[in-house]
Amino acid sequence: MKKRELFASRWGIIFAGLGMAVGTGNIWRFPRIVSQQGGGAFLIPWILFLFLWSIPLLIIEISMGKKTRSGVIGSFGKIIGKNYAWMGTFVTFVTTAIMFYYSVVTGWCLKYFLATSFQGLIKKDSLEFWHSFTSSWEPALFHFAALGIGGFIIYKGVVKGIERANRILIPSLFILLIIACVRSLTLPSAFQGLNFLFSPNLARLADYEVWLNALSQSAWSTGAGWGLILTYAVYSHKKENPMLTSTTLGFGNNLASLLAAVAVIPTVFSYFSTQDFSHQKVLEVMKADNQGLTFIWIPNLFSKIPAGSFFLALFFLALSFAAFSSLISMMELDTRILMDAGFSRKKAIALICVCAFVLGFPSAISMGFFTNQDWVWSLGLMVSGFFFTIAVLKFGPKNFRQNIISTPGSKIRLKKWFDILVIFLLPLQFLAMLGWWFWKSYSGDPHNWFNIASSGSVGTVLFQWVIALGLFILLNKIIAKKMLSNKNDS
Amino acid sequence: MTLEAFLFMIFIFAVCLGGFGYSLYLSSKNK
Repeated sequence: MKKRELFASRWGIIFAGLGMAVGTGNIWRFPRIVSQQGGGAFLIPWILFLFLWSIPLLIIEISMGKKTRSGVIGSFGKIIGKNYAWMGTFVTFVTTAIMFYYSVVTGWCLKYFLATSFQGLIKKDSLEFWHSFTSSWEPALFHFAALGIGGFIIYKGVVKGIERANRILIPSLFILLIIACVRSLTLPSAFQGLNFLFSPNLARLADYEVWLNALSQSAWSTGAGWGLILTYAVYSHKKENPMLTSTTLGFGNNLASLLAAVAVIPTVFSYFSTQDFSHQKVLEVMKADNQGLTFIWIPNLFSKIPAGSFFLALFFLALSFAAFSSLISMMELDTRILMDAGFSRKKAIALICVCAFVLGFPSAISMGFFTNQDWVWSLGLMVSGFFFTIAVLKFGPKNFRQNIISTPGSKIRLKKWFDILVIFLLPLQFLAMLGWWFWKSYSGDPHNWFNIASSGSVGTVLFQWVIALGLFILLNKIIAKKMLSNKNDS
Repeated sequence: MTLEAFLFMIFIFAVCLGGFGYSLYLSSKNK
């Protein structure tokens, strides 16, 4: 039996974890959400939920992976019993479904980096370029390339592949973001953008939408509840302290988001300072969806600034680095699961690449399908996070804290507040998010909100969740047996 | 940029950068 590979040092899991957490969501979603939610005021609940939702969930995940030395399904089975392994299967499926289309997004970033560097994208009409790109066969080709590169990195193993790649990608990403910030802040009227970003209009805190958006941004951006950091923790050392790693990832992720906002928002303000300037106009731009802002507006914005082509290439390079570092964590999650089931790393990766290419293909060629999948499974992460909470509740929060989280020889220990957080605050936050989403959907479209055929409805989400959950509960005995009985320790 | 926004920016960066830096420092000490 081969001995399991571990990260070369403590920094290995920190770099890999930062790579997992800092993704395209930090660069394209955060600046958009913070602008829509009124700028500065949003930052207060966003920081608060880092402590109330994201860091506790990251602590739970790292502890489970480190204790059980199994992937997500095996971890659930070992912690709360094989009858509940289906919760781990659901968490795995949600992240895998996201990986299918995330690979498409990674391909877009790669394409835009190449197009800016070699095809003079900045001189072209960005809207036309986006439409002609997405309606061609190229997204499928770049989807294939992204999976190929990701597969190659994880095939090299935990130390030579994942750890080495993230040791290069993460510091480079932070350097690129800092360069983009310096450029952004040296543009005319940039400080108006900074003023908007950091003006704490406290009246906005009375709006519950600000709080719920802050919670969802923190949860989805840090990767809490995805099962990704649990997978990396399988390769951590015994002395690894889950609390320290979680806070490093949480704060590092928030720092990357802030840098991205400083790079994007003042650039938008600067662009409009030379035109018909108004906050309303800026908000209109920031209200464009993720793809709209990044692939249509950003090339437009950079085309108007000095050395714009160079900085646009830099922006898409940073975005590609962020996307790849997250994509490999998603691919490794499935690789670990298949290795738990007895596959070799090589066979597991080959299977994942083929499945991800085939199942991600519809998202590569149809924006409608892409949008539906993004909607259904990014909301599924809410349930994934709740399943981790249930696992701790079933195990007993005090018992979990003392026997699973506690690191021998470490001076940093969790206190009773963790129990209170798991028993009351995590479930409350889940119910608030779920209730808010139901209410918003119903009040927004009372006739269509439960229509299964409508791509953005509650109905289509619940329908796909129920099918997945039903299937996993039905097959639980077979899956749990496979995951928990295999002795493959590599 | 107003003084209020400037101070708030310092505060937010201090929390994130400080938290990140301190966690990295403790990691390097291997506590």
